[in-house]
Amino acid sequence: MGVLSLPSRRRAPLMNVRYQDELRLFPSPLAKFGIALVAVAFFAGPYVLSDFWLNVLNYAAVFAVGAIGLNLLTGYTGQVSLGHSVFMGVGAYVAVQFGVKNTWPLLLYLPTAAVVGALVGAVVGPFALRLRGDYLVIVTLGLVFLGEYIFDQWESVTGGNGGTSTAAPLKIWHFDFASLTVFGKLFTRDAGIFWLFWAIVLLAALLAKNLVRSRPGRAMQAVRDRDLAAEVIGVSLFRYKVGAFAISSAFAAVAGAMYGSLQQYVSPSELSGAAGLFLSIQFVAIIILGGLGTIFGGIIGAIVLQAMPKLINRYSDKIPFVTAAGGGNDGIISAASLNNIIYGLLIVAFLVFESRGLAAVWLRVKAYFKTWPFSY
Amino acid sequence: MKPKRLLQLLCLLLVLSMVAAACGDDDDSTSSSGGTTETTASSGGAAKELKPGPGFDGTTIKLGVLTPLTGTVAIIGKPLTAGNKAYFDSINAKGGIAGKYKVELDIQDTKYDPPTTVQLYNGMKNNVVMFAQILGTQPIKAVLPQLKSDKIVAQPATLDADWVHEQNLLPVAGPYQIQAINGLAYWWNEGGGKGKTVCAMAQDDAYGTAGLDGVNYAADKLGFKIAATPKFKVSDQDFTSQINQLKSAKCDAVFLVGTAANLSGIITAAIQNNLQTQWIGQSPSWLGVFAQTPLKDYLAKNFWLAAEGTTWDDTSVPGMVEMVKVHDQFAKDIPVGDIYFPFGYFAAEAVGQVLEKAVAMGDLSRDGIIKAMNSIDKLTFGGLTGDYKYGEPADREPPRTTTIYKVDPARPGGLAIVKQGYESDIAEGYKFQ
Amino acid sequence: MIGSTGVNVVLGAIVSHKLLQLSFQGIALGARYALVALGFVVIFRATQAINFAQGGLVVAGAYLTYNAYHTWDAPFWLAVLFGMLGTALIGALIERLVLRRMVGQPTFTVIMITIGLLFVINELVTTVWGTDTLALNDPWGIKTKNALDVTVLVKDLWTIGLAAAVLLGFFLFFRYSRMGVAMRATAVDQEAALAQGISVRRVFALSWAISGLVAALAGVTLASGPGNLNPNIGLIALAAFPAMILGGLDSPGGAVIGGLVIGLTQVLTAGYQSDLGLDSLGAGFKDVVPYVVMVLILLVRPYGLFGTKEVRRV
Repeated sequence: MGVLSLPSRRRAPLMNVRYQDELRLFPSPLAKFGIALVAVAFFAGPYVLSDFWLNVLNYAAVFAVGAIGLNLLTGYTGQVSLGHSVFMGVGAYVAVQFGVKNTWPLLLYLPTAAVVGALVGAVVGPFALRLRGDYLVIVTLGLVFLGEYIFDQWESVTGGNGGTSTAAPLKIWHFDFASLTVFGKLFTRDAGIFWLFWAIVLLAALLAKNLVRSRPGRAMQAVRDRDLAAEVIGVSLFRYKVGAFAISSAFAAVAGAMYGSLQQYVSPSELSGAAGLFLSIQFVAIIILGGLGTIFGGIIGAIVLQAMPKLINRYSDKIPFVTAAGGGNDGIISAASLNNIIYGLLIVAFLVFESRGLAAVWLRVKAYFKTWPFSY
Repeated sequence: MKPKRLLQLLCLLLVLSMVAAACGDDDDSTSSSGGTTETTASSGGAAKELKPGPGFDGTTIKLGVLTPLTGTVAIIGKPLTAGNKAYFDSINAKGGIAGKYKVELDIQDTKYDPPTTVQLYNGMKNNVVMFAQILGTQPIKAVLPQLKSDKIVAQPATLDADWVHEQNLLPVAGPYQIQAINGLAYWWNEGGGKGKTVCAMAQDDAYGTAGLDGVNYAADKLGFKIAATPKFKVSDQDFTSQINQLKSAKCDAVFLVGTAANLSGIITAAIQNNLQTQWIGQSPSWLGVFAQTPLKDYLAKNFWLAAEGTTWDDTSVPGMVEMVKVHDQFAKDIPVGDIYFPFGYFAAEAVGQVLEKAVAMGDLSRDGIIKAMNSIDKLTFGGLTGDYKYGEPADREPPRTTTIYKVDPARPGGLAIVKQGYESDIAEGYKFQ
Repeated sequence: MIGSTGVNVVLGAIVSHKLLQLSFQGIALGARYALVALGFVVIFRATQAINFAQGGLVVAGAYLTYNAYHTWDAPFWLAVLFGMLGTALIGALIERLVLRRMVGQPTFTVIMITIGLLFVINELVTTVWGTDTLALNDPWGIKTKNALDVTVLVKDLWTIGLAAAVLLGFFLFFRYSRMGVAMRATAVDQEAALAQGISVRRVFALSWAISGLVAALAGVTLASGPGNLNPNIGLIALAAFPAMILGGLDSPGGAVIGGLVIGLTQVLTAGYQSDLGLDSLGAGFKDVVPYVVMVLILLVRPYGLFGTKEVRRV
């Protein structure tokens, strides 16, 4: 025993010493603990939360799936898209056509939505090869207006301008998640959907995580960091740019199908056109807030940005200076305006001060404890 | 624990919960904690004390209102909601429904956006007896499937004819189709339009289609051809091409299915291109302020409005006298002559009548409201709008009267009556699906 | 699809009164797009950033003018001037407080920041002036003039005149004024410009201010008339994107030409759609045509008609 030996209770910090450690799906015991917590929350949620909260979380799940997809495209491959909502629309309408009209089961129409979404995404992908930066952003922006026109015109599927009912079945085998019974207890629609949707989020996250830690994932990141250099070392730009568009669109399409069956109604004017553009912007905001290039970030960003407006709206009468959502002239600013201003400021603040998002904040906190006692 | 094993555990848990679900599949028992379903309070016969249920705590009746308070359609949503509120304030001042149950409104801003409407609906549905207003054809279409599965009734603040036979909706007043039929029939028969050229101009959506249904029906029955039917989008700024189409078709009358959001642009283009024609507008196309803009001379000469009821100073209509009294007491900030305030007021009257009936039948549950609606013979409004025959959904019959207004900048609200409560003989034959 | 009757209609149209009327209308619409697109271009030339908040500046300019004209009873020209200066100040402030920190950041980051600012500006406007549609009731009103057998709105003539004046002003400014030359130098090479003693910071701030001036003009022309002023007029910025892209992001002349092409395309499409028997394409067809044109042109020329090609190195 030399003088330098540390007291035995001061264990050396956890460090990754092998490359395999870096690649592991769940890197540390801390992560495992976190996962256990999430699992508990997942199963307990419908028992303790009211329909209002479950509904908020269900929308968050939809946006989480879409955001994970966009993060693969933007965060990992570096291609920006303001047309994400259109692919959501594609998924929603696949669910209408096959789930509602042809009454296919969930396990059939959801994958179909993903496949069709991927195909449509692959058609858009080649533009990313020809156009760069600003020009690509504006072309994807044009996509939401092209999409609106096509959705409007394709009345037999979309119901045209008037929208259509989208209550596709939510049944797997003989568990109907729209009215789920567990241990003889009948759950509300929102409760059943909560379990189904968050299971889909889990699945989506695992798929995405596996993708980015494998060879294609590294190729995508090479394209993001410097596409010409990547091409020189043998990464096919065509393959990975188009592939990234296809995969992210597949995720968006699944999110769209979920959105439709959750809301039971969609219209072209919400998933495309000007509203669609703002929806696409919301996806970008989610991954900025959550953290570009992280899977976890898309989920946390979706929860925060979905819950915030609904919380502000619901508690508007208790926030000072805010006019209650139901009207009245007692405040300076309306709940809707306040919400949009915070939303705008969040985007600006994160990009200016913490461009790696909440996930980076989390990583810093985690690193502090992980490297303890050497946290400096 | 290795990650793989953790995954296996998660899967196992998932499978277990599913099996558990399967075991209890056929069981119908319900409970009220967390996200589990609530049983609705329903009592069989006419009990003295009403059972509390969703939105009713035994003394106060809570009603939901989903309406645009911001955005372009807020110009309609705000006065209409003020009409709702003024009516219930006046009822509460008299003690409430049946003299003892106060009414409270939970008003939320939909921004006229269907998904927002659905989300607000979900947050509200377990805390209200029914919805005293959901504004807009699209928002109604968006929540209708859920209204049906939740067995909740809503008053639609839109005049689409699709609502007439819906079990879960409580529509009032003559549908858009009837307004179009009566408006054109009046011009044709009484306004010297017989044999002249008729055109239509419509919004490119469900509302536009509803109005055009009526125009087509009128064309068929009165025996004219529609010379041109230009369409436009709500977001359009420039209407030159549509006006040119109307001009080259030499239209003597144009039936306009649009909203106040586009009227200014359309009329400006008409003036610019010197289109002299008789415009007949569907009720949502008007706003009192137009009578104070530079458009007023053209409008006074060329514009009619096919709408409901009567003007505010018409003392021959008892319902209007009553409404003006309530307005002066409870809603002074709404300008006299507004055309959406009366709609909100008589729509709330309809809700009030259903609630009275439900209380009389001793059941304010969701089933109770539906039963009450189905057993009401007819809803009356003291002449503010025509009587509406109720009863079972299939038996319901909307009023078939329309009031024709012209623009008169000197009057409050900018409208003067051309013909009140006009019911053309062809309107009688129109069938609602 | 177009039958022989369709061909006759096309031939007949070439000399018709209708064509003249529609063309004028298209040019007027195009001038509005051009005014918005010029605002984009000024900022892009200096800072290589697309300003998504331009629509917000348009709205702010219109409401500031409204406020000066109605609340303070200023003469109309003075109100417009106030609107322009106020919006220029907002633009310069945005640059100073936010965008200056973002120099050198990826395109996408800057775009998202301006989107965030768009939300903030729009909501501040609706908080101050509400969401109801207001009437600017400007002196142009609904007055018309007849010329060449077509009827034109006085406000449309003004819009076209203003767009032309702004383009001319840009031309003179960038060519002959010291600051204009400095801005051009900065656009070509920032470091070289710095070395020549040009204050790049001042160039950036000035670009945003000029963009604000032009945005306010666009806002006034959009809000003019009875009952046209509401927060949604900012949405025109979305329709002006194709115009800007068509011309190339950094060319003022290109912005005007792009604006006119898009304006004419939209109005003529709407005007002749039913004559050509294409009613089944729907009323939304004219709105999507600009984007189709944009995508097609970009496929052939990835940097627009007049844009500068980017040189890339590994």
